[in-house]
Amino acid sequence: MTDTTEQYIALAGVRKAFRIGVETIPIFSGLDLSIPRGDFVAVMGPSGSGKSTLLNMLGGIDRPDAGEIRIGRSRLEQMGEAARAAWRAHSMGIVFQFYNLLPMLNAAENIELPLLLKPLGRRERRARVDTVMELVGLAGRQRQFPSSMSGGQQQRVGIARAIVADPDLILCDEPTGDLDRTSANDILEMLSFLNRELGKTVIMVTHDPEAAAYARRTLHLNKGEFTEGTSR
Amino acid sequence: MTLLELMRRNAWRKRLRAVLLMFSVGVAFLIYALTASFTAGSQGAADASDNLLGVFNKAGRGLPLPLAYLNRIAAESDVAAVAYTARMRGFVEVEKNVVVVSAADPRAIAAASGEELGLTPDLIAALEKGGDRVLVGRALAEAQGWSVGQRIGVTSQLMKADGSRNWSFTIAGIFEGANAGTDTYFMLARYDAINAARARDKDTVDAFVMRPRAGVSSGVLAARIDALFANSAAQTKTQSEKQFLEAFLRQYADIGLIVGLVVAAAFVTILMISVNTMLFAIRERRFEIAVMKVLGFSGERIVALVLGETLFIFAVGGAGGLILAKLATLVIGPEFGLVFGLLVLLKSAAIIAGLGLLTGLLPAFSAMRLPIVHAFRTR
Repeated sequence: MTDTTEQYIALAGVRKAFRIGVETIPIFSGLDLSIPRGDFVAVMGPSGSGKSTLLNMLGGIDRPDAGEIRIGRSRLEQMGEAARAAWRAHSMGIVFQFYNLLPMLNAAENIELPLLLKPLGRRERRARVDTVMELVGLAGRQRQFPSSMSGGQQQRVGIARAIVADPDLILCDEPTGDLDRTSANDILEMLSFLNRELGKTVIMVTHDPEAAAYARRTLHLNKGEFTEGTSR
Repeated sequence: MTLLELMRRNAWRKRLRAVLLMFSVGVAFLIYALTASFTAGSQGAADASDNLLGVFNKAGRGLPLPLAYLNRIAAESDVAAVAYTARMRGFVEVEKNVVVVSAADPRAIAAASGEELGLTPDLIAALEKGGDRVLVGRALAEAQGWSVGQRIGVTSQLMKADGSRNWSFTIAGIFEGANAGTDTYFMLARYDAINAARARDKDTVDAFVMRPRAGVSSGVLAARIDALFANSAAQTKTQSEKQFLEAFLRQYADIGLIVGLVVAAAFVTILMISVNTMLFAIRERRFEIAVMKVLGFSGERIVALVLGETLFIFAVGGAGGLILAKLATLVIGPEFGLVFGLLVLLKSAAIIAGLGLLTGLLPAFSAMRLPIVHAFRTR
C-alpha cells in the first residue's frame, strides 16, 4: 500500500486464520499495509472481511499466525501478553461501537481508568481527566454515570478515555454505529480534530460511507485483502 | 479513584449479593471467634499459669491431702511460695445456681497466686478481719449481682459440725483477676474458719498451690514434690495450673478437636459458597474484564483486582463477625469461658486474609486467562 513521509504502522505478510471445530477459516493470507504517522484511515468492507480482526491485531489484542506487525518501534507479534498490555496502556487508545464504559464508574472515573496504570498522582490524574472532558465537550459531567447519558455523550466519554493517556494511535471500531446522524457527525468531527490538531493517527473501522468521508483515506477490505484505496 | 476504590466498586456493584456473601462470611467468623474464644478461655485455661503448680491427691482430685504436707513442700528450697485450698461446692438460693468457695489462708494465697487473682493487700486485710469474710471474683459478683458488704448464704454439700449445710458469709471485697482470661467465677473464704466449722475432713486440703522460684523448671520441681510423698499413704500428683485445667476439660471431650471440626466445616462451606459466587460474578463481568485488558490492565493487575475484591468482602464480613463475637463475649462474659483476646483476633485476621485470597484465586486465575477476543466475540 501507499507509503508516505514516515511509516508508522507496517504490516508485512500477516496471516491469520480462525479454527471453528475442525474447520479452519483463513482471514488474512499475507496482508501488507503501511500507514504514515498522523494519518486518518477508514477501513471499510463487508461483514466477515476481517476489519475487526485487523483492528484487534493493530491494538495488540490478537496476534497474527505469521507475519510482522510493526507500530512505531514496537513489534507486536513478538511481544508477550504482559508487554502488549503495557504497550496498549501507553501507546494506543480504543473507541468501541457500544462505548463499553464500566457501569459502576461515573464519567470521570471511566476516563481515569487508563491513568491508573501510570505513575501519576491523584491531582494530576484529575487534571488530565478534566482537560479531556472539556476537549470532548463534557465539562461539568464528571459525576454523571453512563446509565444517565445519551449514546453520543457515552461515546464522548469513550473518546476521552481513549485519549486521556495521550497515545499516538487511536483505533475506532464502528464508533458511530450506535448513534444518530447528528451525534455521529459530532463524534466524527471530534476524531477529525484529534487527527488534524493533535496529530493522532486514527484508524477507524466503519460500514458507513459518510463516516469514512471524514478520513484522509479509505481502505476497502474484502476477503482479507485490500481491494482499493480512496485518498482525499 | 484508585485501584483500591475500583476493587471496592466492583465488590459493591451487586449490593444484595455482596451483602449476602459478607453476611455468610460474618456468620462463619462469628462461629469461629466464639469457638476460638471458648477454646482460648476454657474456664481460664488460656491464661492459666504454667508456673503455678498444683499438688493434688494422686488417687483422685476430689480426694483430700493432709495439711501436714505443707511444711514438707514449703521446706523445698525451690518453692518460692505455697498455699493450700479446700474447695467447697454449693448453691445460692436455687440448686442450679452453683457457686464454688475456695478456702485458703489469706496471706499464703496472696503470696502464691495473688498476682494472677488480683489480690491486693487491702483485699487480703479485709478478708483477715473476720472468719465469715469472703472475697468474691468479679465474674461471680456480676453474675449474682453482689456487692461489697452484702451478706450471702451458700448451701453446700460440706456439712458443718452442727449438721447444717448452710454457710453464711459477708463479702469483704471483690477481686478482679489479672486480666479478662482469669477465672474469677468463685469466691475465696478463710480456711481456718471453714476447717473449724466443717464436720469431716478436718485439717485436710484439696490442693496445695505453689510458685517455684524464678528459673526453676516446673516439671523438675513437680517430679521432686511427687517423689517426696511417693511412700506416703496419700501420694501426690503435681501439675501446672494450665495442665490441670486442660486435663479437666479433656475429661468431657477433646474440645479443641470438636471446635476445630465445627470451624473447619463452617469455613469449607463458606469457601465453596464464596468461590462459586465469585466465579459467577467474574463470569458476568467477562466483557468488562476484557475491556480493562484492552485499556492496558495486565493479567497480574486483573488478578490483584479480583483478589482485592474477595479480600474486601472477607474483610468487611469477617470484621462484622468478629465485632459481634467480641460483643457477645463482653455480654455473656468470662463465666462461660469466652475470652476474645489478641491471639484470637490475630488468628482471625490471618484466616480472613487466607480465605479471602484462597476464594479469589480461582476466579482471579480465570479472569487473568480470559482471552480478550473470545470475551468480545461471546458477549
